[in-house]
Amino acid sequence: MNILEAQKIHKSYGNKFNKQEVLSGIDMSIVKGEFVSIMGASGSGKTTLLNVLSSIDKINSGTIMIEGKNITDMKEKQLAEFRKYHLGFIFQEYNLLDTLTVKENILLPLSITKTTPREANQKFEVIAKELGIYEIKDKYPNEISGGQKQRTSAARSFIHEPSIIFADEPTGALDSKSATDLLNKLSELNKKRDATIVMVTHDPVAASFCNRVIFIKDGQIYSQLYKGDESRQNFFKDIMKTQSVLGGVHSEA
Amino acid sequence: MKLNQLIFRNLRKNLKNYYLYVFALIFSAALYFSFVTLQYDPSMDQVTGSIKGAAAIRTASILLVAIVTIFLLYANTIFIKRRSKEIGLFQLIGMTKNKIFRILSTENFILYFGSLLFGILIGFAVSKLIIMILFKITGINAIATLHFSKTAFIQTLIVFAVIYLFIMLMNYLFIKRQTILSLFRLVSTTEGKLKKMSIFEIIIGIVGILLVIFGYYLSSKLFEGDFTSIMSLFITMISILASVIIGTYLFYKSSVRFILNIIRKKKNGYLNINDVLSLSSIMFRMKSNALLLTIITTISALAIGLLSLSYISYYSAEKTAENQVPSNFSITNSKDVETFKTALDRNNIKYTEKRIDIIKANTNITNIIDVNINNLTTSLDKFPLAVVSEKAVNNLNLSSNETLFTGYNDLLQSFMTLKDSGQIKLMSKNKVINLTYLGLDKKFIIPSHFTSGLPTVLVDEKVFETLKKDLDQSIQKDSTVYYGINISNESSLEKANDIFIEKHLNEHGANASRLDVINNQKKTMGLIMFIVGFLGLTFLITSGCILYFKQMDESVDEKPNYTILRKLGFSHRDLLRGIRFKQIFNFGIPLVIGLIHSYFAVQSGWFIFGTEVWTPMIIVMVLYAILYSIFGILSILYYKKVIKDAL
Repeated sequence: MNILEAQKIHKSYGNKFNKQEVLSGIDMSIVKGEFVSIMGASGSGKTTLLNVLSSIDKINSGTIMIEGKNITDMKEKQLAEFRKYHLGFIFQEYNLLDTLTVKENILLPLSITKTTPREANQKFEVIAKELGIYEIKDKYPNEISGGQKQRTSAARSFIHEPSIIFADEPTGALDSKSATDLLNKLSELNKKRDATIVMVTHDPVAASFCNRVIFIKDGQIYSQLYKGDESRQNFFKDIMKTQSVLGGVHSEA
Repeated sequence: MKLNQLIFRNLRKNLKNYYLYVFALIFSAALYFSFVTLQYDPSMDQVTGSIKGAAAIRTASILLVAIVTIFLLYANTIFIKRRSKEIGLFQLIGMTKNKIFRILSTENFILYFGSLLFGILIGFAVSKLIIMILFKITGINAIATLHFSKTAFIQTLIVFAVIYLFIMLMNYLFIKRQTILSLFRLVSTTEGKLKKMSIFEIIIGIVGILLVIFGYYLSSKLFEGDFTSIMSLFITMISILASVIIGTYLFYKSSVRFILNIIRKKKNGYLNINDVLSLSSIMFRMKSNALLLTIITTISALAIGLLSLSYISYYSAEKTAENQVPSNFSITNSKDVETFKTALDRNNIKYTEKRIDIIKANTNITNIIDVNINNLTTSLDKFPLAVVSEKAVNNLNLSSNETLFTGYNDLLQSFMTLKDSGQIKLMSKNKVINLTYLGLDKKFIIPSHFTSGLPTVLVDEKVFETLKKDLDQSIQKDSTVYYGINISNESSLEKANDIFIEKHLNEHGANASRLDVINNQKKTMGLIMFIVGFLGLTFLITSGCILYFKQMDESVDEKPNYTILRKLGFSHRDLLRGIRFKQIFNFGIPLVIGLIHSYFAVQSGWFIFGTEVWTPMIIVMVLYAILYSIFGILSILYYKKVIKDAL
């Protein structure tokens, strides 16, 4: 079952005299339970793609369907409503509220649903233990490490069991150990909870944790790689190969 | 881009961003200029009259300068902080600190003196209106003219130029002290790190609340006579002030956080959007704002308290005059009464006349009095009071061993409280009469000239006659009779008053016209009320602006939070609801505490100032609250814009 379907999405910035097309007709679909990463060089439009897929940014033309609902013609208020229930976010710069404790940050998305405090507490305990942040639940973001912050952010995106989770360079600000740690947790959660995750990254190691990697170049899909039954090491090599072709300067040009 | 262009561009951009700063500048300049104009206005001589009035206005203008200076300096600190990034950038591209300072100074100079001149213009325009208001409340019939005072203009320029120098000095120190790195980091490090509540903090929080309550308790006891000498009264007042102010400070420092923390603990981590935007954000900042909030609260309380008290005395002018002079005209000798009556008849003014015989007699009231002042000059077993026959009051029939007291000044009452009943002794020169005291009536029936505010003793006609035959001459007043003339038709009262003055009746010792007494009272109290009102308004607006600036500052700091929340799917409206909640706290806490403080202050001593407390106090409080909340609403509008821009 396709959870996300995008057709011919175009997105450009600037006014009509100085137009810069960032996405030029992208078609893609994501199946439930997939862990997909989007890769591309700087300026290839991968973050813009994530933003439009996650309804934070508007597209100029095309359609995006999430769980059969067309989000392109929703009003701002409906979109907010949609994000609340169906989407989860993990950002590079964590985006935790400094004024809230770890637990309060994680429970934030639940406060708008009709979850009872007891139920919320149970959900919190499960996810916090899975991500190994239960012990720091009463600490404030400025008292914990970057890896812990990012796991808190991840817990927040999982807690309300959204249809799809968008992650924008989640390992970008982490050291390699914390990054590996986080990616392991993400792929565990992906399998265990059958959660759909779309991740933007420029790091091939991070991408090798996924089931599928989509390469973007100049606003279009350049190629896709499926992991299949390959080992992570081999998949990583494949990614590296594609990336070097993608990013390399063609000698014949 | 040339330097001049840069200055010009900055200016244009800042004008949009800092419109409230410009507004504050214009406002304070206008206020100050019109006040100083008032000081030098020739038509003011009538109002100020005495040296005291002029001194009051001068003191007020100094206070005004102090308020305006503090306000402008504070506003400047916020705005320079906002521009730290820009300063860092200039430094980064190789400008020297001196050059940056020059840019800022020039920019500030244009902005500052431009607003100043504009403010003076507005001040000039409204000065006539202000003088008209002053004439109206002091009851003076004079024509207010628009009068441009050069002295006032120069004084305003000098005062604001000095303030400008202060601001420049501050900016200079600010720029000097900064490195490029710290300039970039400034915004994120201003608020202290959030820590958990310690036990110590909880104790401080509780102590804060207790101190405030203790202060209130003391203030309610202040005039109830538990403190018997002037010295202890003074010490008590100081302790009230100290405990309330320190308590308020601790309240902001810890108690608010402490209370909110309890609420937050109860939620067990499950906060909704309103809690996130209000509770946690207020807790986050309350501690660093404690001093500012304490100052704002204390001065608000002071302003509301003084405004209430001066309005109480103004409002009670008529009532007080009625107590002092029970009829329109009070005359104490028969010759003057005849002169006045003939003059009234000649002018066809109808009137009623009342004659009351008054004698002074020593009384022994030790049985019915609670004395609170030890060192009383007269002893209570030989206490001279004015005695009047029951005839003076309609439908009163006392038996020969009964007495009723009437008309007792509120202030004196608080020091010497009368019991509900008891036995008193009335002494003529040679005899002692025992009487049963029935109670105290509120009505004043004879002028305060005879009573000095003490109660009047009403006795049976026969007792009165006995006393009269056996008078103790040594304690009698120069007159033993009071003629009260009441003008039947309200509209001819003023004419009668003119006659009263024309015949020089007001110059004879104890004669009095109630209208004159009222007007005099209104004139003095009106001037005081005007000055207090002026300062109060200035304070209200400056403190409102400071809170607003503070919120502007906070909203920019919190903008990333709004971005996160909106990405998470909280709509614009969800956030705004939370913000409204937050602003109710941010503006409401200082307001409510200020109101409560002033309530207790007014309650403890209002009777010194007048006879009516509730109406004037409530009017002042409601007006203050309404004007104050305008700033809260403005800040919500600003937040609205910030939230909209957040995604």
